[in-house]
Amino acid sequence: MSKVSEKFAALFQDRPRLHACAAIAENLFKKPVFGCQDCGQCILSYTAFTCCMRCPKQMRNGPCGGTREDGHCEVYPERVCRWWLIHKRAKWMGRIKKLRRLQVPVDRQFEHTSAWLNVFAGKIDPPSWGRE
Amino acid sequence: MKCGSNLEKLLSAGQFVVCGEMSPPQSVDAASIARKCAYFKGYVDAVNLTDNQTAIVRMSSVTSSYFALCGGVEPIMQMTCRDRNRLAMQSDILSAHALGVRNLLCLTGDYQKFGNHPDAKGVFDLDSCHLVAMVKQMRDDKKFLCGEEMKAEPRMFIGAAANPFGEPFEMRVLNLAKKIEAGADFIQTQPVFDVPGFEKWMNAVRDEGMDKQVYILAGVMPVRSAKALLYMKESVPGMRIAPEYIKRLEAITDKDASMDEGVKIAVEIMKQLADIPGVAGLHTMPVMWESITPRLVEEAGLLPRPEVPADEPESAQVTKESNT
Repeated sequence: MSKVSEKFAALFQDRPRLHACAAIAENLFKKPVFGCQDCGQCILSYTAFTCCMRCPKQMRNGPCGGTREDGHCEVYPERVCRWWLIHKRAKWMGRIKKLRRLQVPVDRQFEHTSAWLNVFAGKIDPPSWGRE
Repeated sequence: MKCGSNLEKLLSAGQFVVCGEMSPPQSVDAASIARKCAYFKGYVDAVNLTDNQTAIVRMSSVTSSYFALCGGVEPIMQMTCRDRNRLAMQSDILSAHALGVRNLLCLTGDYQKFGNHPDAKGVFDLDSCHLVAMVKQMRDDKKFLCGEEMKAEPRMFIGAAANPFGEPFEMRVLNLAKKIEAGADFIQTQPVFDVPGFEKWMNAVRDEGMDKQVYILAGVMPVRSAKALLYMKESVPGMRIAPEYIKRLEAITDKDASMDEGVKIAVEIMKQLADIPGVAGLHTMPVMWESITPRLVEEAGLLPRPEVPADEPESAQVTKESNT
């Protein structure tokens, strides 16, 4: 990350209330658009902009073995499997190769923090823009 | 040798292996494991010990793996991500190694809603890929997940599961590649009731050269009646069952004859799977019907089981360990 973004992140570093405000601002956009689950370490750019944390098992590396034939979830048959949706959208967007990346375990300390600020501060990997 | 388990030795010697599966008791009845060991000893090369399968409380897989070991059977301990966070999992892996367990199958686990405690909190701190990577890191780098080093590392032959029939198909192959990258040594698949479907998946696996990177053990499940097959078709998502098998079992009304037909179907599937290139072994999973294993293995022509090769590097490793 560039110097500017680091300085920007440093601004929020020791100001927990300001950071909370930033997290709320981020949620205002991400909740309605992506159904954000507030994990604080967004991998939307790898998962075809479809939040995988909405999966009941919070699978970050791919579907579990229980996707139904019609693409619905084994736990909640009325819902579409998140990973079925991710695959469909990734195919449509030409981002299948990004699904191949091995995602690291969730750092639970980042829950309910701003993922954008975490990227600026260099705490988590930056998003991967661009098609492949 | 990564861990020197019998399973690893047999697979690396190029032997066609057969695994069994047993469920730990839903009580404190440790003797039941010793009893069940008789169905497996000499008939299979290793046995899976399930970890609260279908989210029903049972004796822990660590303890029952130890009892299986005492009963003279090589255990493959299953570990799911449903009931434990990363601390508890690592602690159980350490315990398992200390008790002599050398094979670990990493699973995400059935959702708690399907078990006898649907009101429980599911943990899912890690997913199965994370778990595979974590065990590999503990074994090869001698480090806990947090990065701290440990003095003596747990040496596990790492397994993972694959579902050749789940949707979407492309994701299933990609998922397998990820599990291999994370560090899986062997793969056990869901039970196969659709051999052409399995062949299609296997072709995709071979095209990527993945059968050379990992040992693939195909799953087989003997069933007693058409009812069991219909139940699985209706209630177990991600299972594909060829209608032919249901028809064959439905045609039989007699209970004993139906059981015989079930075994016949399983043996047919086993023989077909063994002929598919890239399949390194079979994994039989007779749910609540462990006693059928000897008959199954015998009728499939897989007896006698091969001797475990006693190789040089292993003995060298043992002396090295005892010196330190």
